[in-house]
Amino acid sequence: MFKGGRAPRPGRDGRVSTPVPPDVRALSRRTLSRNRRDVACATVLHSLHQLAEALVPVAIGVTIDQAVATGDPGALALCVLGMVVLFTVLALAYRTGARFSVRAVENEAHLLRVEAARRALDPRGERSGLRAGELLSVATSDAEQASLYVRAWVGLIAMGTAITATTVALLAIDVPLGIGVLVGVPLMMFLLRFPAARITRRSEAKQATAAGATALATDLVGGLRVLMGMGARTAAADRYRRASGQALTASVSAAASNGVYRGMVSAAGVLFLAAVAAVAGWMALRGRLSIGELITVVGLAQFLAEPVQGLGIVGQVFATSRASARRLVRLLTAPAAVAPGGRPVHAEPVVALEGVSYRTLRGVDLTLAPGETVGVLATDPRDAEALLDLLSGRAVPEEVEAGRAAVGGVPVHELDLAALRTAVLVEEHGATLFEGTLRTNLATGTDRGEEHLHEALRAAAAEDLVSGHSLGLDRPVADRAANLSGGQRQRAALARALAADPPVLVLHDPTTAVDAVTEEAIARGLARARADRAPAGATLVVASSPALLARADRVVVLEEGRVRALGTHTDLVRGDSGYAEAVLR
Amino acid sequence: MSATDEHAELLPTASARRTWAVLGDGVRRSGWGTPLSLVVVLAGSAVGLVAPWTLGVMVDDITDGAGLDAVLRAAVTIAAAALAGGLFTGLGAWLVTRAGERVLARLRERVMDRVLHMPAAQVERVRIGDLLARVGDDVAVVTTGIARNGPDVVIALAMVLSTAAGMTALDWRLGLAGLCALPVYVWAARWYLPISGPYYARERIAMGERSHAMMGALRGRSAVRAYRREEEHEGRVSDRSLAAMDITVSVFRLLTRFGSRLNAAECVGLTMVLVTGFWLARGDLVTVGAVTAAALYFHRLFGPMMFLVMNFNEVQSAGASLARLAGVVDLPEVAEPEHAREPQDGSVRVKGVGHRYGPDTPPALDRVSLEIAPGERVALVGASGAGKSTLAAVVTGLRVPDTGEVHLGGVPLADLGERLLRGHVYLVSQETHVFAGTLLEDLRLARPEAGAAEAEEALERVGALAWVRALPEGLDTVVGEGGHALTAEQAQHLALARMVLADPPVAVLDEATAEAGSAGARRLERASLAATEGRTTLVVAHRLTQAQAADRVVVMDRGRVVEQGPHERLVAAGGRYADLWRSWQGSA
Repeated sequence: MFKGGRAPRPGRDGRVSTPVPPDVRALSRRTLSRNRRDVACATVLHSLHQLAEALVPVAIGVTIDQAVATGDPGALALCVLGMVVLFTVLALAYRTGARFSVRAVENEAHLLRVEAARRALDPRGERSGLRAGELLSVATSDAEQASLYVRAWVGLIAMGTAITATTVALLAIDVPLGIGVLVGVPLMMFLLRFPAARITRRSEAKQATAAGATALATDLVGGLRVLMGMGARTAAADRYRRASGQALTASVSAAASNGVYRGMVSAAGVLFLAAVAAVAGWMALRGRLSIGELITVVGLAQFLAEPVQGLGIVGQVFATSRASARRLVRLLTAPAAVAPGGRPVHAEPVVALEGVSYRTLRGVDLTLAPGETVGVLATDPRDAEALLDLLSGRAVPEEVEAGRAAVGGVPVHELDLAALRTAVLVEEHGATLFEGTLRTNLATGTDRGEEHLHEALRAAAAEDLVSGHSLGLDRPVADRAANLSGGQRQRAALARALAADPPVLVLHDPTTAVDAVTEEAIARGLARARADRAPAGATLVVASSPALLARADRVVVLEEGRVRALGTHTDLVRGDSGYAEAVLR
Repeated sequence: MSATDEHAELLPTASARRTWAVLGDGVRRSGWGTPLSLVVVLAGSAVGLVAPWTLGVMVDDITDGAGLDAVLRAAVTIAAAALAGGLFTGLGAWLVTRAGERVLARLRERVMDRVLHMPAAQVERVRIGDLLARVGDDVAVVTTGIARNGPDVVIALAMVLSTAAGMTALDWRLGLAGLCALPVYVWAARWYLPISGPYYARERIAMGERSHAMMGALRGRSAVRAYRREEEHEGRVSDRSLAAMDITVSVFRLLTRFGSRLNAAECVGLTMVLVTGFWLARGDLVTVGAVTAAALYFHRLFGPMMFLVMNFNEVQSAGASLARLAGVVDLPEVAEPEHAREPQDGSVRVKGVGHRYGPDTPPALDRVSLEIAPGERVALVGASGAGKSTLAAVVTGLRVPDTGEVHLGGVPLADLGERLLRGHVYLVSQETHVFAGTLLEDLRLARPEAGAAEAEEALERVGALAWVRALPEGLDTVVGEGGHALTAEQAQHLALARMVLADPPVAVLDEATAEAGSAGARRLERASLAATEGRTTLVVAHRLTQAQAADRVVVMDRGRVVEQGPHERLVAAGGRYADLWRSWQGSA
């Protein structure tokens, strides 16, 4: 019943668009409705399973009463048959029910994960206010936690069914006794919750100490090469040993409080059993209960603790899944950062900033025509960031206080976003390379042939990445290019930008991780590559490197958000002592 | 598939036998704690047998027409057992966790010790991700396994053992009947274990790839947008998520099939107990009460048996992580030479050193010889890939060259041994790492016994004291991962201050000053001049001003030394360095 069958599976098509749920309730409702088949089957089967579990002690009681006590072989045969049937139902109900619920949970987690990723990657950006790290945890762990809503729901109904069934069975045997058990078990569980909550809080705090030791370990190993250079490996090992010792003390004392709780739960359970046994035994003496009923009552009283405890867990799952759902909804419903228009980009995309005041920028003018190279020296990194935001179409129009940024005569926010990003490529400082190979990374921005990629690598003085490796262009690139050195990463990112060969290329500090000799080579290669483009490309380089700025047609000096000076590098070096101070090194 | 550097290798994973041995070793070292905890847990579960037994007796008493006192006696006995059971259970759980945590703490400390003291050559070879996974994830998985599941597993096992004993004590034939379930359990386990292991391994890999895809896309969000690759990355997340989901669902299917087999075992056992009890009771060999007790005993086992089974995957993954930790414990230790010789002075001598990173790559170093006098400052100049950083690594002993020799203070590196070597030569590398913790703790890594005053002195010397004092809590400000973020320049400042604290005779600097921006680069250059004053210094020059400030400039190209001499002489000589200097000045 599990293989094949259902086609098409929900979620196979990652692009199915569902309306964004406006709040947690809507998200939860959608969770149930889009997995309704699986949820319905799981609920019915889990309830059936709980019923069967509740019937096991009843079946034992009946067998003792009807067969063992009487010595009637016919009754025994019937009882054995009943037992086999009961277990078959129990096993099948669990097996299929659990499969339905796990499929619903996994499918929902998948859909939420993909939805969160899609929202986070939306070209228009989002204003959820979540930081990068938080975003990652929303798309991973919160998507998983929120999907547990399905499990909580199924559990709630199944446990409820079990409690109802037990209630009916107990009341059928003896009404006062049944009521006593039904009040006693939840009361006991309720009373145990108080110490449990306190102990959970305390032990969570202690677990945090243990997590701290693990964090220290990964931090030290992350800096292992630095430690080696420092000769500080023994000092690091000592520090870890201390942290590990503290974690040990904390977990042992957490274990002590857990032990107390465990002991209480165990003692309370058996004490309750003693009470039930005393009352039921007394009733059996008086002839109000048969021996079999006595055993059944004791068995059911013991069994009842399970679903009642289960309900407590279900409550916790509801709470955690709601908290995660809240964070997911915050991301999913976040408004887009920008509302781009649909206008195309002019064939000759002249970039023009006219008196723009945005964030730290104050009335900045700047033009960049095809074939030109303009350098920007920004003494405040925030000015550079603001400039890049404007050119990449990330800047929120309402935040632009004055002036306008236009490409090909059209204000940036009126342009079609994809067209803008095709025309203007902003390669940021420290831009990420992706997991894959060098080739897949370089080909990110182009579908031209291999020779084109080699040319881009040459221009970025990054040929050694290919020649120094037996796999050449197919050398693997790990997540965040962890297997490349800082200089290699920077040159590969530059090669990627050059391979994309956009009409307008914006680079931010592209040579900070390379040495003077290589920087010189890159400045030459970059100028040649952009000039060779047909039609000639426009290039904006935000940097403080004299090698790069010397090759610009003019350099714009930004200070305190304003254009303080404008001229060629040579003129500025001669005539502007502040400029010379900033770039000479 | 996740990309990996094919030069990288994985750390070893211990065999099952070796893993048990490492674990056994830890248990033995922990002394009386482990056996005591097991005794207490067994006692606790044995006390747990009293209640069903007493109920059985009560059933017999009632059948025989006993009075109220028999019922009361039974209730009091059960209540007493409840208190004793609670005591033993609580105490046992605490003792088991304590014993487990102690063994684990010792294990993780050994692992960390081995990882931190890995031979330099091996550090270069292994994947850093693998190392991080071992000291991070694996330790966490084993910790959770021991802290959360450990006591439950031990208690469940003890319950199984004591219940089997209890049933046999009622009547050996009833015990035997209960044992009939065992072959079914064994059959189920023998079916499940061999096929599930590979599934779990695949699931772990698939989940890892899923999170890789997600992290790669989200961390590189702005690059994804700049290159309009949103759909590609979204598609990759979706594909990998689906792949992982398929595996998870099929693993779970397997688990539920296993669950059914266990239900079968329960059914067989319970039925056998009741049927056997029936015949024995008919033959007056046992009482109805004994049969009741036996059936209740057996029913009591359902929970712990299911628990053991359903948590098997966690036990299994804790086992897998344990094997990976044991593999690290078995790493060879760095051998200290028998007769370590103290270096005589701060001189450095590199003789005919050659090195290649791979069999078919060009040499990174090609017969390089270099002598540096004590206190001399030498700058290495050359393009990327000229071999500057490799030479720096060779001089610091972090890379063992294929050919040639390095002497520090007249002693070959091999005769120095790790301890003396690290006290003698100090590398400030391109890689900056701000260690998580307070700034003072970060500095103290270089010299643990240093006090706050000494740390401030070191900061002062590199000109960093002003900004450190301006931090929210000065030296006690928490920095690094999750703490106050330092700029690239501040991180580099900190690295130099650490060196001043360590006070080595020989300093090797391979720093990337450019990240700090031009003004920062100048400050850092002044800082590194101050930090290396009076030390033999080898600088990998990223800026030519660094070369200008050196006593001697060594120009490298494709692994060879092609020019060397003081800055002025090289500029006057009109060679490569002169060209470079002119172009540098011209452009500036």
